[in-house]
Amino acid sequence: MDKTNNDTAGHKSRYWKSVGQYSQNADASEAKAREFMQGVTEDFSPDDMSGISRKQFLALLSASAAFAAAGCTNYRDKGEIVPYNKKPEEVTLGKANYYASTCAGCEHACGILIKTREGRPIKIDGNPDHPVNQGKICAKGQASILNLYDPERLKEPQQKFSGMGFGKTTWKTADTAVVAALRSAVHNKKEIAVITHTIGSPTTKKVLNDFCAAYPGAKVYSYEVFTNDVRRKAWKHSTGTDTFPLIAWDKAKLILTLEADILGSDGNYIEQTRLFAQNRDAANPRSFSRLYAAEAGMTLTGMNADHRLRVRPDAQIELVLSLINEIVVNRKTSRFANDAALAAVVNGYSIGSFAKKYSLSENTLKCLADDLVAHTGEAIVYAGSTLPENVHTAVNLLNEALENSALYRKDQSAVSHIEHAAREEWEALIAGLNSGAVGAVIHFDANPVFHLAPEYGYADALKKVPSVALVESQNETSSLCTFVLPIHHAFESWNDFHTRTGIFSLQQPVINPLYDTRQKEAALLVWTAGNTDAYTDTIYHGYLKSRWQQEVHPAMNTAADFSAFWYASLENGVVGFTEPSASFAAAGAAVSIGTNQNGASDSFIVMLHDNYYIGDGRFANNGWLQEMTHPASKIVWDNYAAIAPATAKALGVKNYDLIELSGHGMKCLLPVYEQAGMAERVVAVALGYGRTVAGTVGTGVGVDAQKLLTKAGGVSPWLYADFSVSKGNGTYELVSTQEQHSLDDSFVKDLHFKREIIREGTLAEYEEHPGFIQDERHKPTTITKSVVYEGVKWAMSIDLNKCTGCGVCTASCNVENNIPVVGKDQVRRGRDMAWIRIDRYFSGTPEEPTVSVQPMLCQHCDNAPCENVCPVVATSHSPDGLNQMAYNRCVGTRYCSNNCPFKVRRFNFYDFRDQFADGIQQEAPLNMMHNPEVTVRSRGVMEKCTFCIQRIMEARQTAIMENRPLKGSDVTTACQQACPAQAIVFGDMNDKDSAVSQAIANDLGYSVLEELNVRPNVTYRARLKNV
Amino acid sequence: MKKSFLDYVLKIRLPIVLFVALSSFALTYFVSRPERDGVGYEPEQPIAFSHKLHAGTMAIDCKYCHADVTKSRHAMVPPVATCMNCHSVARKNKPEIIKLTQYFAEGKPLMWKRIHKVPDFAYFNHSVHVNKGIECQSCHGNVQEMDVVRQSNSFTMANCLDCHRNAPTVLTYVPNVKKGPDNCFACHR
Repeated sequence: MDKTNNDTAGHKSRYWKSVGQYSQNADASEAKAREFMQGVTEDFSPDDMSGISRKQFLALLSASAAFAAAGCTNYRDKGEIVPYNKKPEEVTLGKANYYASTCAGCEHACGILIKTREGRPIKIDGNPDHPVNQGKICAKGQASILNLYDPERLKEPQQKFSGMGFGKTTWKTADTAVVAALRSAVHNKKEIAVITHTIGSPTTKKVLNDFCAAYPGAKVYSYEVFTNDVRRKAWKHSTGTDTFPLIAWDKAKLILTLEADILGSDGNYIEQTRLFAQNRDAANPRSFSRLYAAEAGMTLTGMNADHRLRVRPDAQIELVLSLINEIVVNRKTSRFANDAALAAVVNGYSIGSFAKKYSLSENTLKCLADDLVAHTGEAIVYAGSTLPENVHTAVNLLNEALENSALYRKDQSAVSHIEHAAREEWEALIAGLNSGAVGAVIHFDANPVFHLAPEYGYADALKKVPSVALVESQNETSSLCTFVLPIHHAFESWNDFHTRTGIFSLQQPVINPLYDTRQKEAALLVWTAGNTDAYTDTIYHGYLKSRWQQEVHPAMNTAADFSAFWYASLENGVVGFTEPSASFAAAGAAVSIGTNQNGASDSFIVMLHDNYYIGDGRFANNGWLQEMTHPASKIVWDNYAAIAPATAKALGVKNYDLIELSGHGMKCLLPVYEQAGMAERVVAVALGYGRTVAGTVGTGVGVDAQKLLTKAGGVSPWLYADFSVSKGNGTYELVSTQEQHSLDDSFVKDLHFKREIIREGTLAEYEEHPGFIQDERHKPTTITKSVVYEGVKWAMSIDLNKCTGCGVCTASCNVENNIPVVGKDQVRRGRDMAWIRIDRYFSGTPEEPTVSVQPMLCQHCDNAPCENVCPVVATSHSPDGLNQMAYNRCVGTRYCSNNCPFKVRRFNFYDFRDQFADGIQQEAPLNMMHNPEVTVRSRGVMEKCTFCIQRIMEARQTAIMENRPLKGSDVTTACQQACPAQAIVFGDMNDKDSAVSQAIANDLGYSVLEELNVRPNVTYRARLKNV
Repeated sequence: MKKSFLDYVLKIRLPIVLFVALSSFALTYFVSRPERDGVGYEPEQPIAFSHKLHAGTMAIDCKYCHADVTKSRHAMVPPVATCMNCHSVARKNKPEIIKLTQYFAEGKPLMWKRIHKVPDFAYFNHSVHVNKGIECQSCHGNVQEMDVVRQSNSFTMANCLDCHRNAPTVLTYVPNVKKGPDNCFACHR
C-alpha cells in the first residue's frame, strides 16, 4: 500500500456505500448500528394495528373478488374484417398471383415473374418462359423489391430553392419550368443534353427520338460504368462487323477465361452460369468441361476453375501471344500457320519464357496449349471486358485459328439501340456546359456525377445550367439539379425490351404507383408535347401499345388480332419472333494485332472491377444486397483493396491497414484485404461503393474508387498501371462472415478436408473408381432403433460441381423468409441472419489456393442435436422429417445453436428491424414487402431454415384440394427456384424415383460430419476437378 | 417471546394477502374463462345481417358468400358487391339494405367486427379443412340459427388439438376421417 492510501484510511474508510457514509453524517452512523428500520422490531397488539373485524374482512374479500371478476367479464376486441367493396376478379385472398414482367436492374433486362399477394409484390423470380434467363434471376433482381418499398424513395417532385435546399413542388410547376427552359434553349440554339444509362427498349428509344425531334439540338448521351465496348471495338477491328457474338458455353469442352468473370460479373452471368453448369452435372461426370482461368483477382470464375493461373492484367497480352506462337507457329496449326506477318508479331513470346517470367507452372501452360489444340472447334478463349483492345484482338485471332468460331451462337445476338457516348462527346458536352452552349440537362435515371471520371469536371459544369433529374431517390447528380422529379419503380412501369435478337420482353406494372411519381418516359412525353396538361396515368402505356399495334404486331405475321396478341404477350412476358441474328465475318489475320506489344511492367497496377451485388452503386441503399457476402472474401458492407499476401508483406501492411494508392494525380485511401490467390503487385478494387448521397443505408458505405477513373484510361479504361502504393495512417475494420483460414498454420490448414466437411476428387480418380467417395464415407452404426418415416420425407441434395458460390440462393431466401438486414456492426459480432450461407474454404498455399464452396443451411438431421437440448421443446421433429422451430414457444436459451454442429441456427439478439439504422426497416411501406405466409420474428427467438415450410404447406393444400396425395415434386424451395446453376434438388426421399433420391444415391453423394450420426437430410455431391 | 411488527407481517398480513390473491385469481380464472377465449362474443355489427334468415330460413349455401373457403386459407368475408347480387333488386326499401346500398354506392369499406380469430402465430387454413369434408358448424357452431353471430367454440390450441387427435370420435359425420397432423409445423412456421 502506498502512502496516500494510508493517509486516506486514517480518517475515512476506503470504500463507502453512500455519500452519507463517506461524509460520516450522524443519521448514516445511526442506521448502520441498527439491523432493522425503526419500529419494525417493536411490540405490537393486532387490535391496535387493525380496526377491521372479521366480518368486514370477509366482505372486503368477496367484494374485491367480484370486482376482479367483473373487470375480466369483457371480451377482447378482435378488430375488424374489412372486405373489398368490389373485389377485383383476379384476386383470391390468401392466394398469390404471378405477373410476367422484365427486370430493369441492369442492362440485361431479364424476364421476371412477380409474385403478388392481395396486390402487393412480395417476391421476384425469373420468368421460366424467358429464353435468356430461363426462370432464374440474379441477387440484384431478387432484392430489387426492397427498392420498390424503400422508405427513402422520393414521394413528390422537388425543387431547389436558392440557398434553402430542396422543397416540395408540383409536377405542373416542374413541367412548366422544364418546358420553358427547353424552349429557351431551342430559341437560343443551345444544346439540350439527355443523359441516360443503356437504353434497352425500342419504345424508350422512340420517345427519345420524338423528344429530339421536338427540341432540335437535343442529344442523347448514354453510358455505363462497365461496358462491353472494348470487346466490341476489337471485334470490329478483327472482323469488320459490329456485334460480338454470344458464346455457346454449354457446347464448350474447354474454356479459357482471361480476367473474364463469366460466372460473376462479365455479361449475363445468370445465363452463363446455367450454360456452364450444364456440363458440371454429378449425374454425368464424364461430360465435364474443363475451365482454365487466367486472372489477377480472385473471382467467382477463378474460384470454380480447374486450373487457375495468376496473371497480371497487363501480362494477358503476353499470354495470348505466347499461346498463338506455340499453337499457330510452333505446332503449325490452322490456316495462319504460314502467315509470316503473324509469326513476326508473336516472335519472342513463348509459353516457356512467359511461365518463367511470372513464375507459373510451364507444365500447366503446355497442358493448356495441348488442350486447346486437342479441342479445336469446341474450345473457347474469352477475354474479360476490362482488358485492353489488343488482348481482345489477339483472342479473336486465336479463336479463329482454333476454329472456335463454331461456338459463336448463331441463334441469338445482342441488340444495341443507342451507342454509348464516346470520350470526345463527353468532353464536348462538358465544354458546352462550361461555355453556355448547352442550355439544359435532363438526367434520365442516371448518375453521371458519381459515375464519370472526376477529370471531366462534370459536377462543376452541371451547376452552370438548369438541370433536371428523373430519379427514384436522391443521388449525387440529382442533389445538384434544379428539379428532382420522382419516377416509377420498374414494378410500377410499362415498357418493352429488346436486348437479344428475336426476343421482346415486356414490362408491366404490378402495383399502382405508391407515390406521386411518373414513369420517366411519360415525363419526357409531356415535355415533348410541350403541354403541361398532357399527362395522364396511361400516357406511356398508350404510347407503348400504339407502337406495338403499328410496328410490332404487323411484323409478327400472326393470325391473332392485336388485342389478343397484346394480352397474350403480356401474359407470357416475352414474345419470340424471327429475326436474323448478327452475322459475323471471320477474324482477320495478323494485321489485326499491332506489332508493338509492350508487356507488363513491374509497377503496381490498379484493377477497378465490377462488384457482385450493388451494381454501379444504384443498389447502395439496399441493405439486403450490402449484406450479401463477397464470394471470395466473405466481406460485407465494404469494398477494399485486395492484394496478394506476399505483396502485403512487401508493403509492410496486414489486413485492415489503410493503404494509399496514388497515380495520375489521384489518391485513394483503402483498407487492405490480403486475398489469397491474387497476382502480386496488383490491387483489385470494386467500384460502386462510396456513395455520398444514397439514403440512410447506402451513404458512406465503402470507398469511392470511381475517382481513380480517367478520361483516357490506363492500360484500359479500368486498368491503371504505374501506381504507387504506400502504407497509410490508421486502420479500418472490414467485416467478414468467414475468416480466411491461415494457409500456413498446420493446425487449421485444410481443416475442411480433415473434418470431411468438403470431399473432393478429380475426374481421373472417379473414372478409375467411381465409388471412391462412398469408400471414404463413415458408416455409423447405432444400437437404438431409428424412427421410420412413412409417407413423404423431405430431403435436399446440393451438387457442389454445379454450385459456383454466387449467393443467389441467399438473396432469394432473404426475400422469401422475411429475413432482416442487421448491419455491419452486428455481422461483426457474428449475428448475420442468412438462413443459407455459402461457406468458402481455401486450401493449398496463399499464392496458389484452391477454393471450395459449400452452401450451408439447416441439415434437418434425423437425430437432430438441437432438439434434445431445448428446455421448452420449441424445436422438435415432424413426421415428414423436418426439424421444426416454433417461435412462440422459444424462450431464447440458445442451447440449440450451441449444440448445432453446422452452426446454422440464427438468433434474434435484437428486433433487428428496430435496431438497424434507427428502425428504417419498420418504416412504411416496408411492412408491405413481407411474405404474409412467414412469421416476422421478434427479439429473443431462434430461427433457421424451414425447408420453406410455407411452400410445403401450400403444396399440401393444393393436393388436398385436388384430392390426391402430396408428391415431393410439388414443392420447390426458394433457394432451389433461384439457383442459376440448378445445383439444388429438393423432394421426397422416400420416393425412390424422385430426382432427390437419385441425387442422394449418386456415387458422389455424402453428408457433412457423418461420424456424428446426426443423419442430415441434406446431402452434397462431391466436387470433381477436371484436371 | 415479544410480539413484534415483523411477526405481524409474517404471520397475519402475508397469509391474508396470499389468500386474497390466490382466491381472486382462482375465481376470476374460472369465471372469465369463456370471455378470455372469446366464447359468447357477440358484437354489434355495422349492418344487422342475419345468418339465421339467409343461411337458415332461406338455406343459402355458406359457400355462396364465403366463396374462397375451398380455395384459400381465408374463407373470405364477402365483398359488398356479393350482397348486391341480390339486394340490388331484393328488399331495397328496408333500412339495413338502404345502408348497405349506400356503402356500395360510395365504395366505402364495410368494417365488420371480427368474431373468430386464431392467434397470430398459428396459420390456419380453411380450404384444407373444408375440402376434407369438415362442416363449418364444427368450429363456428350453428350459425344458421344465429340472428347475430356469436362465437360458440374456443379457438385455442387445446381445442384445435382435441379435434386433430380425436378426429374419428369428434367428427363422426366425416367418412374415413383420419387424425389431423399434430406436429408444430402443421400450424406454426
